[in-house]
Amino acid sequence: MNLAIETKKLTKTYKTSSGPQSVVKDLDLQVEKGEIFGFLGPNGAGKTTTIKILLGIIDSTSGEASVLGNPAGDIQSHRKLSYLPEKPYYYEHMTGLEITQFYASLFGIKDRELCERLLNRVNLGNDMNRPISQYSKGMQQRVGLAQSLLNDPELLFLDEPTGGLDPIAHIEIRDLILKFRDEGRTVFISSHELSDVERICDRVAIINKGEMVHQGRLDQLLSGGRIEITADNVTEELSAKFRGEDSTVSFRNGRLIADIADTAHPGEMLDAIRAAGGDIVSIIPRRKRLEDLFLESVAGDNVVKGRKMSKMTDDHDEHKGASSSVVQDEEGSEEVNS
Amino acid sequence: MNAVLSIAKTTIGEAIRRRVLLVILLVGVLFLVIAPGLSVLSARQNYTVLTSFTLGVIQMTSAVIAIVLTVYLIPNEVERRTIYTILSKPVYRWHFLLGKYLGAVGALGMMMLLMSTVLVLVFRIMQRDASMDDVMRLATAPLFFFVQMSLLAAVAMFFSTFVSPIVNFFLSGGVYLIGTLFSPVFQDLSENRTLQPMVKGAATLIHTIVPNFAQYNIQSGIINSGPELRSVELYYAQIVLYAVFYIAVFLIAGMMIFDRKEV
Repeated sequence: MNLAIETKKLTKTYKTSSGPQSVVKDLDLQVEKGEIFGFLGPNGAGKTTTIKILLGIIDSTSGEASVLGNPAGDIQSHRKLSYLPEKPYYYEHMTGLEITQFYASLFGIKDRELCERLLNRVNLGNDMNRPISQYSKGMQQRVGLAQSLLNDPELLFLDEPTGGLDPIAHIEIRDLILKFRDEGRTVFISSHELSDVERICDRVAIINKGEMVHQGRLDQLLSGGRIEITADNVTEELSAKFRGEDSTVSFRNGRLIADIADTAHPGEMLDAIRAAGGDIVSIIPRRKRLEDLFLESVAGDNVVKGRKMSKMTDDHDEHKGASSSVVQDEEGSEEVNS
Repeated sequence: MNAVLSIAKTTIGEAIRRRVLLVILLVGVLFLVIAPGLSVLSARQNYTVLTSFTLGVIQMTSAVIAIVLTVYLIPNEVERRTIYTILSKPVYRWHFLLGKYLGAVGALGMMMLLMSTVLVLVFRIMQRDASMDDVMRLATAPLFFFVQMSLLAAVAMFFSTFVSPIVNFFLSGGVYLIGTLFSPVFQDLSENRTLQPMVKGAATLIHTIVPNFAQYNIQSGIINSGPELRSVELYYAQIVLYAVFYIAVFLIAGMMIFDRKEV
């Protein structure tokens, strides 16, 4: 496997008044070259600490971390990577062009045209000579992306790249990130914008309290989900047979809506319905949403659990919105929900 | 060195726009401008009062600017997270620290140049019969204040690698006061053979660690003509080298601490 980032048993422990506290625990991370990798976790999960270790800003307590084949923090790797921090600050007296030139100079680059070209690329061509203090949040974020491309990086670390942006800026930045992948770059995104991550990332890692909870391809992590079967002319007795620990079954006026795990032998269920004279209306495979996976992964405390519960109900409602007849049926299903 | 110079240039740009520094500078300039109004004595005393007061104003203002400017340089970069973007580039931490220091010294130099220009203008207006030599001698004092302040900035930079800005303000200020007011005392004590070894050792230690800021106060010789040095140039070269040595020591020590610091 061609890895851009790899950590083995990466651990960071801080000494606190109440004893040693591990912020990152035995983290094994693999980011492949050329992919967009989402690094997720709730606040305080250890994401920023991990990024800081990978950038060499802080040292790990134990374990190994390599970036682009070199130990984390190696200055040679820094020539081939770039980093956009969350809510970046820029020296306000400088213009967008001056900021970009400043960061270029840190690479020893004195190419004004390159800076202008990159600012044009992020749609700041007309504003590059305005002081940064007059820039909106989205424009500042675009300056950040322009500076992050100065060294034609193989690997980009983007910390909350779309945080706090308006929808238009949000879409622009998202599209830029997708273009980075098309250009063969590896993009490592730490974000709370799960819909963005789900839309653009190839693989994700979810960490909680410093520990890896999930890591893998998004399609694999979100597959193995659910199948929703809707059938008419079904008897109540038959519908009762389909209730189980991992299924949600609703029945009203001869219509059955069953939400079952795709491992729960849906074929047998379909055969049973047909054998009883029922009509299959639809079979809809339902992929898990990243939000669900995330909430399941970090549901370690009551607050998150509470959010999870309400969120899952919301999802149900959202789904229900697709068909009014189903809405009523699903509401009825609350009583028969196993 | 590109990175060091770029960081220094950006630091200057930021520093000369910091309102708190500009206010301190403005107060200093204001005192220099009103200084002649404070001289109501005879001709000779007028010269003495004017020069000692204005040079005192420059020294005091520069010291406050040097400390206030330097103590916040690194903490501000950490707080605003600009340091992460910079250190994620092929920039060593010592590049960053050196660039910041040079920027601080550059900004300090610009501010001191402004005050020195005002000083010379005021002096020329008030002492019309003064020769060019007198003016040049007067202008020498701020030059050595600049060396002194560069040393003070290095001290503050060193402390900023491991203490908070407020603590740094008092630490650097304390070192400056000790080095300015008590350095000759500690020197005498360290050379006194009648003292107990413990006291003498402590005095020697303080005299060695705390830079002798007092030697850059060359205004006494300008204000009152006293015994002449055998070679003024040699003396000046010695005290400049002394400053360069101490600046290097403080910066290297700061770099070593900063290199291991978790920002």
